[in-house]
Amino acid sequence: MRLLTHNLLSSHVRGVGPRGFPLRLQATEVRINPVEFNPDFIVRMIPKVEWAALLEAADTLHLIQVPKEPIQGYEHNEEFLRKMHHVLLEVEVLEGTLQCPESGRLFPISRGIPNMLLSDEETET
Amino acid sequence: MDSKHQSNYKLSKTEKKLLRKQIKARHTLLRHEGIETVSYATQSLIVANGGLGNQVSRNQLLPVLEKCGLVDALLMPPNKPYSCVRYNTVEESKKAYDTLNGKEIVDDLGQKIILYLNFVEKAQWKELGLQTLPPGLKVIEEIISPEDEKMLLESVNWTEDTDNQNFQKSLKHRRVKHFGYEFHYESNNVDKDKALPGGLPDICESMLEKWLKEGFIKHKPDQLTINQYEPGHGIPAHIDTHSAFEDEIVSLSLGSEIVMDFKHPDGMTVPVMLPRRSLLVMAGESRYLWTHGITPRKFDTVQASKGHKSGIITSDVEDLTLNKRGIRTSFTFRKVKQTPCNCSYPLVCDSQMKEAPASFPESDKEALQLEQDYVHRVYEEIARHFSSTRHTPWPHIVEFLKALPSGSLVADIGCGNGKYLGINKELYMIGCDHSQNLVDICRERQYQAFVCDALAVPIRSGSCDACISIAVIHHFATAERRVAALQELVRLLRPGGKALIYVWAMEQEYNKKKSKYLRENRTSQGMKEEISNDTSVQELLVKELPNVGRQDSAHSVSSINDFQDGGCNSRNVANSKLPIHTNRTSFHSQDLLVPWHFKGNPGKDKRVESLGSLGSHDPSPVFHRYYHVFCEGELEAACQTLSNISILQSYYDQGNWCVILQKV
Repeated sequence: MRLLTHNLLSSHVRGVGPRGFPLRLQATEVRINPVEFNPDFIVRMIPKVEWAALLEAADTLHLIQVPKEPIQGYEHNEEFLRKMHHVLLEVEVLEGTLQCPESGRLFPISRGIPNMLLSDEETET
Repeated sequence: MDSKHQSNYKLSKTEKKLLRKQIKARHTLLRHEGIETVSYATQSLIVANGGLGNQVSRNQLLPVLEKCGLVDALLMPPNKPYSCVRYNTVEESKKAYDTLNGKEIVDDLGQKIILYLNFVEKAQWKELGLQTLPPGLKVIEEIISPEDEKMLLESVNWTEDTDNQNFQKSLKHRRVKHFGYEFHYESNNVDKDKALPGGLPDICESMLEKWLKEGFIKHKPDQLTINQYEPGHGIPAHIDTHSAFEDEIVSLSLGSEIVMDFKHPDGMTVPVMLPRRSLLVMAGESRYLWTHGITPRKFDTVQASKGHKSGIITSDVEDLTLNKRGIRTSFTFRKVKQTPCNCSYPLVCDSQMKEAPASFPESDKEALQLEQDYVHRVYEEIARHFSSTRHTPWPHIVEFLKALPSGSLVADIGCGNGKYLGINKELYMIGCDHSQNLVDICRERQYQAFVCDALAVPIRSGSCDACISIAVIHHFATAERRVAALQELVRLLRPGGKALIYVWAMEQEYNKKKSKYLRENRTSQGMKEEISNDTSVQELLVKELPNVGRQDSAHSVSSINDFQDGGCNSRNVANSKLPIHTNRTSFHSQDLLVPWHFKGNPGKDKRVESLGSLGSHDPSPVFHRYYHVFCEGELEAACQTLSNISILQSYYDQGNWCVILQKV
């Protein structure tokens, strides 16, 4: 699970709604996977990222310092773009957990795959 | 082109014919096997029509090839109508190419074969990876002496008169005799109330006591079936009925060795050599979940180096050869089970599947249970096989994905094996599916995927530029749940975002054209399947005789007009049973169960009406998947119940109803 993916995931436990985001990340195994740098792609991604969630996740994984918000004129700042490329696409959480911030429910991540299946009682109808 | 001839030299008629055949072999290899031949000389050659799959053995082909030079390696993949030879030098390879093209040899059945050679870049095959025996399987070699083997074989009286209740039946393919209890082939079960007089033969009793004491078997059997297989005989792949017999099933092989195939529902096949005088012990998973069978043929593909030792037949194509079968007699000992089966493999268990047959759901709770039993559990079991039949992306879906702007965030809800996750590298695609096993396959392909329910997708609202839902919503058992699934898709979209939805159509013939599902008769459930090895003579790669046209069997197909009059029958009688569909025919009900057969079984395209309970007619396992097939306009109407969307496109594509919608 890459951090860009984590940025999209939200808890669906019943009654939680938007307070189910972001999921608290805890990783026991992380791998760095080199990915070809595509600056245009990163430029387009930046506005779609929920920045606070990304900061929190990057911090938990003790990654390189992520700026508090996108730098002014980031579209042309290669250093910034490369940093974001690394954080969003090259860090893979292989083992760990995701926790619903509202209900505390834990979802396991195993072999890079989060299992977000809820039991019938927990599902929102 | 033949290197001997100048470009201005006129080719004779036979030379032209040879060239044509050679080119045909080239095309067939590429099209069906993915093997690319090259026009320049290399050390390696593909020998079309010279393969184990068309009855040419190693010791026939090798001397022929060695006449042209030093052979580095001869690779003979099992069941293929070609081999690959690598010579020590290019010159020797060229000599083979020049002299052996069009050469006539004789195969193991005495038939004339013509070889066609083409150069290839490399002579290697992907290793299938280490195989292990199915869990619970053991082969104990030399468990009896040759003297005992002789004695046992002579003790079988095949010509006893038929009033004797130790039934001698002559089945189409082999001779059988039963002791202890009679086995009924129509029901694949024993009559537990009617024990046969005499029990098991005395010689067997002492042998079984010995095996018990020595720990080879754990339980004392009370039923014996003696099978005699002549070369060419076999037994279709099956699981011994769970409720009929206890866990341990043992089989003693006499007279000749044989290769028995074990298949797992996910498609994995393990061929196991059973030597003479060996005892096969099947317990646990190998007894309850894997099918076992013997292909009806006169030769088995075996490992040249291992001879007649037991074990898995490797996929090492450098070591394979053919072994002629002899008459094999098996003594299969089983213990009759007096209580219902309670194993851990419910999907293939007749006791556990005998619960109320699937019926049209009356409530959300029943719908959930139906989906659990007839969608989720089945996909988990068949994931790998299912994945192997889902490899060609559909063009319109590819078109949709490729038209999305670079940098779009796209979710594939119900992504299956991840078929669409890598189509457009300019997108950031994440996939999710209910099946852990299918998501594992996505992961193997390095895609971003997770496990979840399509009615509760854990993605934040309004975050996706696009979503796709391909062949998913038709698995939901009520109209409310289907709409709820659509609602989830729309929730994920940002304003202006698009969703593409595909569902199976009730109408499998549209505008007088039959869908691929109806047309594809030879290969079932998908595109290329390996040529079944149930036929005893494999097809040649390049035929000498004119091709006899393939015949499509006639199917009754209802056209779209049938439905326009009555409208789609969406009324379902309360508590009505869900009908079981016959594959490759048109649908007669909107809610139904569609069979999925274990890979490689014959008869899956034929009209086998399985009566809902396992093992009644077809001894090989069938999984049923629940579907609600959609009528024309039904998907559109369902989408239109959602307030915040507009439908951009609505069309029919190869047996599916499709909608592209946009969130406003």
